[in-house]
Amino acid sequence: MTITQPTTPPSARLPPTYPRGVIDAVAGTDHKSLGSRLFVTAMGFFLAAGVLALVMRTELAQPGMQVVSRQGYDELFTIHGSTMFYLFAVPMSLALGVWLVPLQIGARALAGERWVLGAWWLLVLGGMAMWFGFLTQHGAAAVGWYAYVPLSDAPHSPGIGTDLWVLGVALAATASIIVAGALLATVARRRARGMTMLRLPVFTWTMVASCLMVVTAFPALVAAMAGLAWQRHFGGIFDGPSGVIAYQHLFWFFGHPVVYVVFFPFVGAVAEAIAIFSGRRFFGYRPFVASLLAFAALSMSVWGHHMFTTGAVENRYFSLTSTSLLVAAGVEYFDALATMWRGSIRLTSAMLFALGFLLMFLLGGLSGIWIASPPLDYHASDSYLIVAHFHYTLFGGSVFGLFCAVYLWFPKVTGALLREPLGRLQVVLTLVGVNLAFLPMFFLGEDGMARRVADYPRSSGWQTLNVVSTVGAYVIAVSVLVFLVNVAVSLAFRRPAGPDPWGGQTLEWATSSPPPPGNFEGRLPAVRSPAPLLDAAEGRA
Amino acid sequence: MTDTRGLYDDVARLYGPIALVVAVLVFSLVIGFAIRYRASRHDASTVSRRSSAPLLEAVYVLALAGVAVVLVATTFRAEGKEGRLASRPALHVRVTAAKWRWRFDYPGGVSRVGGERRIPVLVVPAGRTVRFSLSSLDVVHAFWIPDLRFKRDATPGQTGVFDLRFPPGHATSVGECSEFCGLGHASMHFLVEAVPPAEFQAWLARGQRAAG
Repeated sequence: MTITQPTTPPSARLPPTYPRGVIDAVAGTDHKSLGSRLFVTAMGFFLAAGVLALVMRTELAQPGMQVVSRQGYDELFTIHGSTMFYLFAVPMSLALGVWLVPLQIGARALAGERWVLGAWWLLVLGGMAMWFGFLTQHGAAAVGWYAYVPLSDAPHSPGIGTDLWVLGVALAATASIIVAGALLATVARRRARGMTMLRLPVFTWTMVASCLMVVTAFPALVAAMAGLAWQRHFGGIFDGPSGVIAYQHLFWFFGHPVVYVVFFPFVGAVAEAIAIFSGRRFFGYRPFVASLLAFAALSMSVWGHHMFTTGAVENRYFSLTSTSLLVAAGVEYFDALATMWRGSIRLTSAMLFALGFLLMFLLGGLSGIWIASPPLDYHASDSYLIVAHFHYTLFGGSVFGLFCAVYLWFPKVTGALLREPLGRLQVVLTLVGVNLAFLPMFFLGEDGMARRVADYPRSSGWQTLNVVSTVGAYVIAVSVLVFLVNVAVSLAFRRPAGPDPWGGQTLEWATSSPPPPGNFEGRLPAVRSPAPLLDAAEGRA
Repeated sequence: MTDTRGLYDDVARLYGPIALVVAVLVFSLVIGFAIRYRASRHDASTVSRRSSAPLLEAVYVLALAGVAVVLVATTFRAEGKEGRLASRPALHVRVTAAKWRWRFDYPGGVSRVGGERRIPVLVVPAGRTVRFSLSSLDVVHAFWIPDLRFKRDATPGQTGVFDLRFPPGHATSVGECSEFCGLGHASMHFLVEAVPPAEFQAWLARGQRAAG
């Protein structure tokens, strides 16, 4: 197993307005360059973790063990899940913020750029630590992405692979806290004249909500990892039944908010895309912001639903808080749909990914309300139904939102347009792949297939659905290849985007593509609403 | 009594149709709007400039809250029954999980223990309330009987107590460990054999005689 790292320095892909060279690639502090490096790093981990998923799906296509050993399988799902969360989804969310938030609020630079540079180094080191586990004698960590004690302690999981995993997670989490802090400081201190908090673009608000959750929830993960490292070497931290449960509380206090951390920025991207491609102001801005903040606040009090089956938490309380999330999520759907209503809709690739996001995330969200009910979760917990649920939220939601963001902002970042026909092909393949891969898992889980099993009995009758799911995984892989081809073609044979190819509404579209160092030349448009460029177009400015 | 499967069905009968209605509604609206308001077939001058409807949204939020209340109330009712322990269970079985096998201890020294290639059988009286005490000797496992729609974590050093009732009549089903517990997790199975109470008593008595 090898580590997939970007082979070209990201700065090499940037147009000549940027200082080139090795120094800039490792030590540049311009927020756009930092954002690109975070993006490429996270994307590299996404591809690498995707390869692991393909190996797993190949193994599960038939009963018995064909491709990997059981130990190998356990390493695969551990590193797949850990990479997707700690090294892809969270850094990717933050990368979008690092690139776009200063532009959206009319700032010339990020606050705490050197901190963010250091955080990127921590992320790279953390990722390398985690993946180098594959090269050690006992292999990589094989404890699952939440590494429950006592399974993850030294007697049950000897070997340096698990230690490297703990180190990697701690480094990545620390990096995330630093970046989130810098983004919050940027929003607090660097807004342009007229950019009040209630005129922040929708995407920036989703980043604020995300970063608030990072700085409040991620320290619990750092503490859990510090405790786990100590437990592995000296013991005495998570001993006894209370220690076992304490670890679970500490982990899930981070582990639930993190799923919204990697969800909100993509909701923001989708909201911007829907507004732009409906030719309308985003509908219900204030209720939307209120629902985001309520969502973020509530997210800190739902973690116990991961522990319904322990008998150690007050299930009714966590069921109540978790189910209440439907109100906040419902507001977001209402606003998205109301923005489309009587708009003038252009079905670009970005818009198609945004609509795919609304549909696919819905299945994840509805199944989420299902498992927020303990009597239903007693069956669903730790089954493939859960695997289906969170892949609909994380792939159907976050990854669809990510590609929406990429198709929307790629022209801003590179100055070149992506190819629309390839984009549409990617949308179709992704939709087909996701549903083939993850829909069967609902039925497998309901029928009694537990998650994290390397094998299942031939007599179970689960092979057909597993084959369908495996085919879906390969279709997703093809869709990602189409995306990579699109990026390569679009960069090799550039079609200039101009400052504003879409009819954008926010300040990043009021500067050249890519923006110059310092972001803006000349005067900024007046900011009197969350959509200053639309104000100008509608003659309100 | 704890009819876990019945409780699951009760809650699912409410949650399922609501989820279906919401899914159909949102799918129709998203796809319908995308077609109806597409720029190419829609006069751009009719684009609405309205960007808020506070009253409508407030009513909508209240409606959502109403749905949440109905869901939570149903869940709470079922959860209350789920957690209740019978005053006089018909049988008490101690379940012990360890990497990677199960052990079932019955009154009178009768035990069923899984082995390397032997799947243990949990024999229970059908239609009667059975009390279980669940614990683990090493890591966290989970005791899952999909047919009963029920699982509970086995936390080392802690005993979880719950009641289950198996449907009347003869039935064999599969049980498994659902919390990842290491190398042997995928094959940590057991069988559940529910038999009529009289047959169960005879089976237990035979076992007790054999145990001496």
